[in-house]
Amino acid sequence: MTERLANILITSFTKILMPGIRVTIPLTVCSFAFSMVLALFLAIVQVANIRGLKQLSQLYIWIFRGTPLLVQLFIIYFGLPSVGVMLDAFPAAVIAFGMNLAAYNAEVIRAAILAVPEGQTEAAYLIGLTYPQLMVRVVLPQAFPIAFPSLFNNLISLLKDTSLASSITIVELFTTAQQIAARTFEPLAMYCEAAVIYLIFCTVLTWVQGYVEKRLVWEHKEGDRKGLRGLKTGV
Amino acid sequence: MLEVKGLHKAFGGNEVLKGLDFKVEKGEVVAVLGPSGSGKTTLLRCISFLERVDRGEILFGDLRHDMVHISKKKIREFRMQMGFVFQSFNLFRNMTALHNVMEGLTVARQVPRQEAERIAWEMLRKVGLEDRALYYPDQLSGGQQQRVAIARAIAANPQVILFDEPTSALDPELTGEVLEVMRKLAEEGTTMVVVTHEMAFARDVADRVVFMEDGGIVEEGPAEEFFRHPKEERTAQFLRRVLGDLESDR
Repeated sequence: MTERLANILITSFTKILMPGIRVTIPLTVCSFAFSMVLALFLAIVQVANIRGLKQLSQLYIWIFRGTPLLVQLFIIYFGLPSVGVMLDAFPAAVIAFGMNLAAYNAEVIRAAILAVPEGQTEAAYLIGLTYPQLMVRVVLPQAFPIAFPSLFNNLISLLKDTSLASSITIVELFTTAQQIAARTFEPLAMYCEAAVIYLIFCTVLTWVQGYVEKRLVWEHKEGDRKGLRGLKTGV
Repeated sequence: MLEVKGLHKAFGGNEVLKGLDFKVEKGEVVAVLGPSGSGKTTLLRCISFLERVDRGEILFGDLRHDMVHISKKKIREFRMQMGFVFQSFNLFRNMTALHNVMEGLTVARQVPRQEAERIAWEMLRKVGLEDRALYYPDQLSGGQQQRVAIARAIAANPQVILFDEPTSALDPELTGEVLEVMRKLAEEGTTMVVVTHEMAFARDVADRVVFMEDGGIVEEGPAEEFFRHPKEERTAQFLRRVLGDLESDR
């Protein structure tokens, strides 16, 4: 058994890894990007207290956090065609994952915005900044480092949740593992192998997180300061 | 030059300003004194529209406006002519000292970048922090942060600068450098309203002193006269207490 199993494990490794790189990762990146755009909007209309939109945003978050991701995925891919909305599997998955994660990310971003000291908002108004300028130039740049660890946490979660896409015909990492398991009758080995590949992806992400976090503190921006010093002599 | 009339402000049921009139002339330095809870800070925050008054009117330069029914746009117009220095500095922590000073110029007033940068360097020189221009607020001491905040407040050449207890959040050994900068500004003829507990500063630098208690002005007058011959008994009491502290500190 050992030689056969070893062979299967070795040959299947790249077979599972490739759809991971070609499908799982793009699916994760697209869904996360979409979720961030939506989440930013959902968070800002709440913080800015825009009547109507704020309540709508709360309703959205209530629904998407309160129902299972798999159910949302099925509604979008299998359900919507009956009202005339036909989507390919990949965009359907991006929309489902993105909309679901947006609800969570919106709360992370909202909390981070509220964590930026209020005094700076007053100072910004007093030097003549408008609300959008205040947000873009003062609040969001400071909210980002606060939100980053939680957002990254959600990204890692998403990477693994994309395995649910196998249930709507997308051939990604986990689907491929399933297929090989069925063909070789080695479910334990194949699913463990799939798990190891997910673990490798997440390990890389964790390194990226640590690397970025170190550079998110303002006083560590040595390069910025040097660059500006050069500017000074020019003035 | 700047005048507010009949200011009423209540927080909940608690009336903090009770029909207060306040005025500052061009080039004048006014110190606002009074026990805590007397409404000094609220007065400044109402003048700069950080708090909305319940009733009141503002006259500023040739602008005159009701302070209750006023648009955001109009408020911004008023604020563009004011500088404000907070007790807690409130520098933008994502920007260097230089960019803190430039921000109001480039973003709010569309001053060209190079020109804004020239002005910002000049302002930082004025507060003695040229060598800290490229530091972030977290890398500066409280006194240095407050001096940057002053540079930010004066950068757009406002008609009046409002100081809200500018040294109250500082360690005692750091208040001196901030007061020194303020004294210099006063000597240059800057119009200033200073809410403060620094009696020596009020006595030596202010032209006029306003003493507040319970949401109203109890007494006001030229600084020297105010400290030597207070007219009201309540003022005299207050002075005995704080100046007594000042003496025993030495």
